[in-house]
Amino acid sequence: MRSLRPSGKHGNYRLTEEGLRYLKQGLPEVRLVRILKKPMPVDAVRKKVGNFNVALSWAKKNGWVRIDKGKIVLVKKAGDTGVQESLRKLHDGHATTEGELRILISRNLASKERQSLKKAMSLAGKEVTTLTPELIKTGLWRKTRLRPYDVKVTGEKLHPGKRQPYNRFLMQVRRKLVELGFKEMTGPIIETEFWNFDALFQAQNHPSRDWSQTYTLKNPKQGDLPGKKIVSQVQAAHENGWKTGSTGWGYKWDPVKAAQLMPRAHDTAISPRYLSGFSGKVEIPGKYFSLVRCFRPDVIDATHGVEFNQLGGIVIDKDLTLMDLFGLLKEFVQEITGLSEVRFRPDYFPFTEPSVEISAKHPEMGWMELAGAGIFRPELTEPLGVKEPVIAWGFGIDRLAMLRLNIKDIRELFSQNLEWLRESKVTI
Amino acid sequence: MPTIEVNYNDLLSLVGKHIPLDVLQEEGILYAKGEIEEIDGEMLKIDIKDTNRPDLWSAEGIARELQGRYGVKLGAPRYEVKHSDLVVEVDGKLKNIRPVTVCAVVKGLNVTPDALSQMIQLQEKVSVTFGKNRKEVAIGVYDYHKITPPIRFTAVKPDGIRFVPLEFEKEMTPAEILKKHPKGLEYAHLLKGMPRYPIFMDAAGEVLSLPPIINSDYTGKVTSATRDVFIECSGFDFRFLNPALNVIVSALADRGGTVESVKVAFPDKVMHTPDLKPKRARVDSDYANRMTGLKLSPKRLCELLGQARYDAKVKGRAIGLLYPAYRQDVMHQRDVIEDIIISYGYNKVKPVMKKLATTGSVREIEKLSDSVAEVMVGLGFQEILSYVLTNRNNLFNKMNAPPQDVVEIENFVSSNWSVFRNWLLPSLLDFMSRNKHREFPQPIFEIGDAVTLDKSRETRTKDIRNMAAASCGNKVGYEYMASVLDALMSSLGLEYELVKAQHPSFIPGRTAQIRIKGKPAGIMGEIHPIVLNSWGLEKPAAALEIGLDGIL
Repeated sequence: MRSLRPSGKHGNYRLTEEGLRYLKQGLPEVRLVRILKKPMPVDAVRKKVGNFNVALSWAKKNGWVRIDKGKIVLVKKAGDTGVQESLRKLHDGHATTEGELRILISRNLASKERQSLKKAMSLAGKEVTTLTPELIKTGLWRKTRLRPYDVKVTGEKLHPGKRQPYNRFLMQVRRKLVELGFKEMTGPIIETEFWNFDALFQAQNHPSRDWSQTYTLKNPKQGDLPGKKIVSQVQAAHENGWKTGSTGWGYKWDPVKAAQLMPRAHDTAISPRYLSGFSGKVEIPGKYFSLVRCFRPDVIDATHGVEFNQLGGIVIDKDLTLMDLFGLLKEFVQEITGLSEVRFRPDYFPFTEPSVEISAKHPEMGWMELAGAGIFRPELTEPLGVKEPVIAWGFGIDRLAMLRLNIKDIRELFSQNLEWLRESKVTI
Repeated sequence: MPTIEVNYNDLLSLVGKHIPLDVLQEEGILYAKGEIEEIDGEMLKIDIKDTNRPDLWSAEGIARELQGRYGVKLGAPRYEVKHSDLVVEVDGKLKNIRPVTVCAVVKGLNVTPDALSQMIQLQEKVSVTFGKNRKEVAIGVYDYHKITPPIRFTAVKPDGIRFVPLEFEKEMTPAEILKKHPKGLEYAHLLKGMPRYPIFMDAAGEVLSLPPIINSDYTGKVTSATRDVFIECSGFDFRFLNPALNVIVSALADRGGTVESVKVAFPDKVMHTPDLKPKRARVDSDYANRMTGLKLSPKRLCELLGQARYDAKVKGRAIGLLYPAYRQDVMHQRDVIEDIIISYGYNKVKPVMKKLATTGSVREIEKLSDSVAEVMVGLGFQEILSYVLTNRNNLFNKMNAPPQDVVEIENFVSSNWSVFRNWLLPSLLDFMSRNKHREFPQPIFEIGDAVTLDKSRETRTKDIRNMAAASCGNKVGYEYMASVLDALMSSLGLEYELVKAQHPSFIPGRTAQIRIKGKPAGIMGEIHPIVLNSWGLEKPAAALEIGLDGIL
């Protein structure tokens, strides 16, 4: 490989790869002398200076260093040998003297390009396939005819680097949420039952806490509960409703069960952490979202993956009403799906009351359930120290992704098929 | 979300008013938080969304809601309970086995095929979904006339008694039933390790049932000829048992049955069940309007509540309520407010676009991840996405690495996904092992989370965000990866250092630790042929993995 840079008087000479490197990084002998503040063992210097042998030999030749008892000793500081300047001159196409050029050639920092020039000249009057730098520089291209190609031939197949399609979709969703004024929240993948269930006012013997629907861990087993105040308020809400005006669930709440660790089973586990001030004081008004991986022991099939993503969040402000909830959801669904016709139906979630399911009309698929939402129960928000109404919403984001990516099997969202990824479109 | 089957004509006859099927589908069924999923002739398959309203899980329960909303009957349904002399004696020996039961008698039933199938279905749904798969609630229904009172709820040794279980012909001991009867096999775990098993038996020594497993074939079989039934719910906690009994009894009463009480004599107290007296609650009309945003007068609220089967009476700013005993979900006035909105109609609520002055943002780690991905894509790498769950074989054996403690699932569905990955590279090699027939080279990368153990933290774990890149192909080697790293680092404006390192997944002498600001930040190297072999890879591969959290 040779430099392709043209030069002036000695236009048929150019820098070699090594020459180019020294032009950029400096000559190795100069670099060697520079690090030599005191006598250093040869091996130590060898580790620090590239092209060590060349460096040492020129540094000795120039009388800058000597070897003494296995150590390199500085004789005098590096002077200007002119080589660096010659490199620059030849590279920039300025005139170089014969002497300068000779040194560069002797050090294999410059070389002639006669071979290619000769070849270029021989092409005059002929049809050529490759347009070489020599043909261009010398203008000899004018004397050749460039062979026409079959323009319909597509070349070798290229595989551009691309984002994973599902991930790209998730990024777009994130961006959209930011535009809508939402701040991202997050929580740990391994969570205590306290945040996953108890803080959401799900009773400890509620069917959705049953082992058949959430994972349990072999290791680690028990985590820590948050501060005493929140724990005792949550406990009271479960047992007797605390000061919320609720009857509570009427059972003895068990802190040991609450401290059990489990993989996060739903994104809503994150909201109570934020409401309790886990990441600083919650802003009022505030809009927060989370887009996280969740884990449930489903038998894997076309509609149940090993893991799934959930998009959810909260909106908090004083005097939020059901009408606001519907308004927010409508805006949201329209912004995220682009579908305009929406409808609301009663639904049930253990942590919201009232609860609502929102569907949108898809031109081909008809009505599609897209999101569940509601106003967090006071038994949830008040023990966490929140007095304002909190709207909570959650999207089946995987389903939306499947629709957008035209995927029928949810497992393909995490496709291990390189061909599919390579063929994927970037236009979703 | 229980799914139930209901006969459309049976439902209409329970409602007492014709509701066209399309109206039922688009509007009526919403009053019971349901959705008609399938229509097959007269049979409707309905998904009821409320897992906390077992009273809605039958034709009778749906009919009650429809009666209210379509003006057939308003206010709380009333159920009269007549006194009967039937006694159930509860043995103290049941203390740690299955100590509690509540019972009822319903007489004068007309057991049509629809009535029978609804009864069986409701019993099943209540005990499975509400009763946690019979653990908290097991329900038995018996032919009243085959029973010689008083009834005893007692505990016997596993082989201490013999009876013919339902749908069988020969006598078996409880122990044999647990080993041979299909229901015995299904629910044996609920009696596992108990020295004695619970048994309902009558004064003549006839066994009624072995709860929570199976009824006897003689007393515990209800047919279209049955007129009067004895019902028991057994378990541990009145909180589950009373609502369960009330739901079943109310449904039978809705079909014309007369409810009679049973005296349940526990060692320490006596109860008369069922208690079907309406329960009290109240709702503040200002609070209700504040929550909904609707400006409804107390009178209008009372109307809507009447349609939701509450007796409602204005008392100043509050509304006094009576609601039926089959409901156990009303804990806070919010629960009542939802019923008001359901009566009002969700789609009549006008969405209001409230503008909130908030500023959106994503987490810094997401921004960094995006920047890293941009460079990797520019370098020709294809992004992949893997599961955080994996298995020990992939993490350790196949990586030629010694086993380590990782976060491990106890009740995994498949051992393929039984531990959380603690780094990403095994996911990439797994990916490459599945694409050996695709064109090479295969430069791929993933930015994702892994979970590590950390005793000092509240969850004993720490999530880490890593970027792993790998490629496989004839010309792939250490130098190539080093160039990739260099390009990435210089694009991120980061100074880094490579230090000779040892790692069993990489070739000795071709492995480096990546250090940023003097701290270990990752690893890079050429994949060890042992590892290539274990993944079945036939071309050289090189990889790097860096932690992104430390770069932030």
